[in-house]
Amino acid sequence: MSLLDRTRIVLQKAIEVYRGTGHEARLVAVRDRLDEPLRVAIAGRIKAGKSTLLNALVGDRLAPTDAGECTRIVTWYQDGHTYQVIAHPRRGAARQLRFSRDGGAIDIDLAGQRPEDIDQLVVTWPSQELRTATLIDTPGIGSLSEQVSRRAWELLAPDDEETPADAVLYLMRHLHANDLEFLRAFQDTEVSRPNPVNAIGVLSRADEIGVGRVDSMASARRIATRLASDINVRRVVQTVVPVAGLLAETAVTLTETEVGHLRKIAALQPRESEELLLSADRFLEKFPELGLTSMEREALLGRFGLFGIRLGATLLRRGVASTATELSRELAERSGLRELQDVLGSLFFERRDVLKSRSALLALDTLTRGVARPGAETIAAEVEQLVASAHPFNELRVLSSVRAGWVTGKPDVVADLERIIGGSGGATHIRLGLDADAGPADLKATAGEALGRWQRRAENPMTAHELAVAARVAVRSCEGMLADLGRV
Amino acid sequence: MDDANALVDLGLRACEAYDRPDLARRLTVTKRGLADPGIHLVVAGEFKQGKSSLVNALLGATVCPVDDDVATAVPTYVRHGAEPRADLLFDGDPVRREPVALEDVRQYIVENGRQRIAGVEIRIPRQLLANGLIVVDTPGVGGLGSAHAAASLAAISMADAVLFVTDASQELTRSELDFLRQAYQLCGAAVCVLTKFDFYPAWRKIKELNERHLRAAGLNVPLIAVSSPLRARAVKGGDAAMNTESGFGDLVKFVTERVGGGAAARLAADAASEVAAVCDHIASQFEAEKAALADPAAARRVIDELTAAKARVEGLKTAAARWNQTLNDGIADLNSDVDHDLRDRIRKVIAEADDAIERVDPADTWPQMESWLQSRIGYELLANYAQLRQQAAELSERVSEHFREASGEVFDQLAVFNPAPLVTRTRVEHKIELEKMKAGKQAMVALKSAYGGALMFTMLGSLMGVMLGPIGIGIGLVMGHKGLREEKKRQQTQRRSQAKNAMRRYCDEVNFVMGKDSRDTLRRIQRQLRDHYSGLAEELNRSNAQALQAATDAAKRTQAERDQRLRDLGAELDRLRALKQRALAVPA
Repeated sequence: MSLLDRTRIVLQKAIEVYRGTGHEARLVAVRDRLDEPLRVAIAGRIKAGKSTLLNALVGDRLAPTDAGECTRIVTWYQDGHTYQVIAHPRRGAARQLRFSRDGGAIDIDLAGQRPEDIDQLVVTWPSQELRTATLIDTPGIGSLSEQVSRRAWELLAPDDEETPADAVLYLMRHLHANDLEFLRAFQDTEVSRPNPVNAIGVLSRADEIGVGRVDSMASARRIATRLASDINVRRVVQTVVPVAGLLAETAVTLTETEVGHLRKIAALQPRESEELLLSADRFLEKFPELGLTSMEREALLGRFGLFGIRLGATLLRRGVASTATELSRELAERSGLRELQDVLGSLFFERRDVLKSRSALLALDTLTRGVARPGAETIAAEVEQLVASAHPFNELRVLSSVRAGWVTGKPDVVADLERIIGGSGGATHIRLGLDADAGPADLKATAGEALGRWQRRAENPMTAHELAVAARVAVRSCEGMLADLGRV
Repeated sequence: MDDANALVDLGLRACEAYDRPDLARRLTVTKRGLADPGIHLVVAGEFKQGKSSLVNALLGATVCPVDDDVATAVPTYVRHGAEPRADLLFDGDPVRREPVALEDVRQYIVENGRQRIAGVEIRIPRQLLANGLIVVDTPGVGGLGSAHAAASLAAISMADAVLFVTDASQELTRSELDFLRQAYQLCGAAVCVLTKFDFYPAWRKIKELNERHLRAAGLNVPLIAVSSPLRARAVKGGDAAMNTESGFGDLVKFVTERVGGGAAARLAADAASEVAAVCDHIASQFEAEKAALADPAAARRVIDELTAAKARVEGLKTAAARWNQTLNDGIADLNSDVDHDLRDRIRKVIAEADDAIERVDPADTWPQMESWLQSRIGYELLANYAQLRQQAAELSERVSEHFREASGEVFDQLAVFNPAPLVTRTRVEHKIELEKMKAGKQAMVALKSAYGGALMFTMLGSLMGVMLGPIGIGIGLVMGHKGLREEKKRQQTQRRSQAKNAMRRYCDEVNFVMGKDSRDTLRRIQRQLRDHYSGLAEELNRSNAQALQAATDAAKRTQAERDQRLRDLGAELDRLRALKQRALAVPA
């Protein structure tokens, strides 16, 4: 029986126990959530580029972005059959809102309500990308208006409820003292302790790190790697990926016209182009003979940023890309978007059942301990039984213990352990450190070797106690993989 | 500044002509101060805002290492020097220096430097620095809550001006504004610099938003937008138009006029008052001689008078002098006040921390706990230090008051017994104008040399890492089994007591280090004040002795000699009076 099924059964029992109380509806919602797409919240400090990244992931410019502080209301973007926007006010019934869209982002008419009176907005939008995950855009923390930052806190760390998100993409511009505090608040307490299992760090606006130099992304990658190995960061996120958000958004929504404009810049002499691109102001004013109107220049700057224009023009000039499709692909690659999508796939989507069960069990645990009811104790016991015995949860627990530095050993052994239990991704080939195209025989042989290796470690009396326990979990992971491979 | 220099030179010549090496010593110190006034311009802001790039662009030289990732970890003092050179600064009294090759400086300044140093001093031949400006590049504050923010504020409290750096990527955050507000209270001459405008197309909007935030916060701080890469390019290519475009024209103007100019005017005024005081000293001996010469009958009285004054002046030099007692008692009181305040503050932190630990599980929250504790302690230390600073200034004022009263009596007495109207008139001019010596200044000078804010950086640095020790994590957490919750609770209790112990050890350590440091600082202040006023007493003594000598000699002269000498004296006094007038003309 799958983890999801077992979770569903416990939930069903809980619904019986709480039938007729005000909590029934909430439990039904938790159960239904198991069949919905994974919920991924995008959080971070203000102006970290949350809405921009959301647009890049959706592949459409849905969320409004602005130079000032922009997102003030928690906004859900989910897949659906029709286009609609629903506002959930803090008081009173939900209501549908009118919206318009010409060219750019959705412009929502709040119908006279003040943003602070609206609890959240739900945007339903037919989209392939949103079918895999429902994305939640949050207002930034560290915002000058207290009200706005409190909203992000409420969403991710509510005092009385389970968190509405199953996983979180945490955008950091460069590690800031406030960041960790926030991420910590998102961590739950019971199912699996301080928990780097449901959070990925994104070093956003990565092009800014080198202030737009063409080699900025290389710098950003180096920093992301260092951050990902920092003990304090490891405790809270699984990994850190650098992304130049604006460029990513533009790459996946690139138009022929824009490529045409870039070509004009690429046609300049390298020296002239350097002079032109020295500063944003210069780009808007110099070289009138370029053949771009000031409106066009402004639009280009807004879409690409100085870094994007420098990079795009260089790629075209050097012939690395010549068509819009090629340029789009190249820019998406270089902006770090592809890497982020891969990481999301292996760390979140492949493990979506575990993450969703986890959210549901958390909610159930909170309820049974908070609201006494005949039969609630049995439910609590079953939740604990499930959490303690399900192998995926054991993997998560070992993973977070390793990340927290509680399980220690030789660095290569610990790295091997992390990978085997799914720390870099749940797919078999990732766990075994093989390429995606490895054949079944190859996989089986490697899995067999890993099993032997971890059995030896588990039984070796010299192995530290904590590592030996973790090794037993790794053995179980290897056995699971071999069983899966045998079935194919 | 040149005027002040010329004035001091004239004063020095007078000291030489009238054989007063003691007064010359004082003026030599003043002259050195004028040549190298040490005007501190502190560059502060959150990290990765382009502070080091700004310093480099401002000076038109690569002095501070710039890197995409690693940040400045120790304060860097950039000042003028004929030859480029670099020194590592180590904590101590006086600060220990160790020369280092300029190209190796980088490894000491950036994070994870190999040695623990208090700072790096770099000297370069730059026109902008020639007037004694010292640009201090500080480690980023990393959020208001961080320990480094407290250290930066400590540095700012000693600064003559502050450049607060924020980049054009986003409007000022709450923590930045809070920091700026505190910095502004500590040092009124502040400017907010908006960097990287070349890279952010929306910088004008950000600038406007920031101006609005500053206004709303009631901060009268100008905002200047700059681009370091443009400036660097402009300096390299000698491109004046691009220099204007980079926005550095305005910044340089602010630095030279408001920062350099303001400090220079203050220094010139101080120097002028020193020269005026020296004139008074020298004139006092001539006045006495003149009184004795003008009326031989009065000569005896003048001599008696000066002899009486001699005893008093000598009394001023002894430990029993009232100012000296005030100083000794004051320092002792201050020591116990500051110590008590520190203990009290730390006790409160401990209570708060205990409370916080009770509410969480240290296994989850220790890193935050640690940084919280450090920053909390940092701010308490800053507040404690602010108290020390304020009370030391008050004490210095009291000492100066008592010294002035005592020395004033000496000279008043001298004047009362002078019968000649000529001499009576001099009574007013006779008093050495100690009032002009700004009270409190001495204590600040001592604090500045002793403290300089650098201490906070090293202090917090050396106390980083509140060791929790290995955390007891039972295997129950690694391998799930039933009864998890009870086991967890037991372990949690254990971890909590472990955390409380670690926190207490840290606080004890802070108490110890900081207590020692403030005792040392106070001792330095005491020594400086004592030396200063003993020196003044010695000068008075010498002036009195010379006056006595001259008056005694006058009694032995013939009438012809007297007339001749009187004419000479008149001329000398006129010259001194003219010099004094010139010194007094310098606006204070």
